[in-house]
Amino acid sequence: MHRYFRSALIVLGLLLLQTTFVPFLAIGGFVPDLLLVWVVYTAIRRGQTEAMTAGFLVGFLQDVAATQLLGLAALSKTVAGFLGGYFFNENKTDQTLGTSQFLLIVVICSLVHNVIYFVIFLQGAEVSLLWTTAQYTLATTAYTTALSALPMFAFSRKIRS
Amino acid sequence: MLERLYNLFLHFREYVFLSGLVILSLVLLSLNDAPQVKQIRTIATVVLGVIQDRVSFFPAYLRLGTENSILRRTNIELADQANQLREARLENMRLRRLLELKGRGNYDFVAAKIVSKNLTLLRNTLTLDVGEADGVHTSMPVVHDAGLVGVVVAASRHYSVVNILLNTDFRASAKIQRSRVDGIVAWDGARLTLKNIAKTLDIQQGDVLLTSEYSSTYLPGIRIGLVSAISEKPGSLFKEVVIMPSVDFIKLEEVFVMTSVPDQERIDLEHQAEERFSR
Repeated sequence: MHRYFRSALIVLGLLLLQTTFVPFLAIGGFVPDLLLVWVVYTAIRRGQTEAMTAGFLVGFLQDVAATQLLGLAALSKTVAGFLGGYFFNENKTDQTLGTSQFLLIVVICSLVHNVIYFVIFLQGAEVSLLWTTAQYTLATTAYTTALSALPMFAFSRKIRS
Repeated sequence: MLERLYNLFLHFREYVFLSGLVILSLVLLSLNDAPQVKQIRTIATVVLGVIQDRVSFFPAYLRLGTENSILRRTNIELADQANQLREARLENMRLRRLLELKGRGNYDFVAAKIVSKNLTLLRNTLTLDVGEADGVHTSMPVVHDAGLVGVVVAASRHYSVVNILLNTDFRASAKIQRSRVDGIVAWDGARLTLKNIAKTLDIQQGDVLLTSEYSSTYLPGIRIGLVSAISEKPGSLFKEVVIMPSVDFIKLEEVFVMTSVPDQERIDLEHQAEERFSR
């Protein structure tokens, strides 16, 4: 119970950061997705089912708080959690989190997450769907992956100590 | 069974869970009224339409057997209707021609259908669907728009029998239209001929033959046929004249019985004279 409460607090904190502080870190209009990093972390730490639940709830909260389309972040983060769950190995959790493997998982999950998110989000927009989706997906994935290096280094230090 | 289902669920629980959450997300998405959702709805409609179009053959294929039998039955019904219409059209054309004939003179006619036909005998006859009840009696001429058909030789209440030109008992006074030469038309069992034509008389191939005024049975001027061949036998005083009937008896289906008979006083007088000479 304590674990869930702590997770909820972390999610709320990350949501607050994502909606208030992270937009200031935007580079060329692209922002990293802290909540996605959390979902991937949950997937590696807790497995597929919990990651999907976390993805859905976090996405739903993000939809309510930030995006214009209710259900869009919930959908994309649920799928990201499902994918991330494939890399779950309870005996090697710290090793996965503290190495470049974590970054690779973030890249994979982020690519799929962003494709789903932007393909739907850009529907009806007067832009080239393929080109704009590719642009946003790659840029956001790169930025999110770069940011996920921070927890990776933290876990790496933890493993060494 | 339930245990197996439960095991199956456990085995695929992640997928079931994912499907549930995805469906929930899509439901949430569908609640939006944003342009993106409208666009997705449009795309979904188009995609579904294409898929339905592609797979619609399958239920149609299953119904093919029933559909085939219905179509076959309809086809038979339509073919039957088409035949009836074609028959009606041809009958209409024939009756129109007969009506034209009726309009040519002030005669009384009774229209009749041929219900039986004998054309392979020496004494060829037709049976008509009209009889005494329709005013048809023996000795009445039977005609078609093409010409003379024959004469009624027997009549019951609703039917009558006609001796046609191609009957060895048939005789009719006839006249060549061009040269006014008279003769007697008769069937010899193989050919229709014009008898009593002296070698000196003017008659040519292609001349039109009509009933003459001398006949007590037929009204004058009814077309009988054309002269198709003329020959002369050595030692004979007469020409042999072959007539091609105007009426095509093989195709004949409807006729008119002429109920107008020539002057009865004249017929009676001629009979009396015949009887006197024969005594």
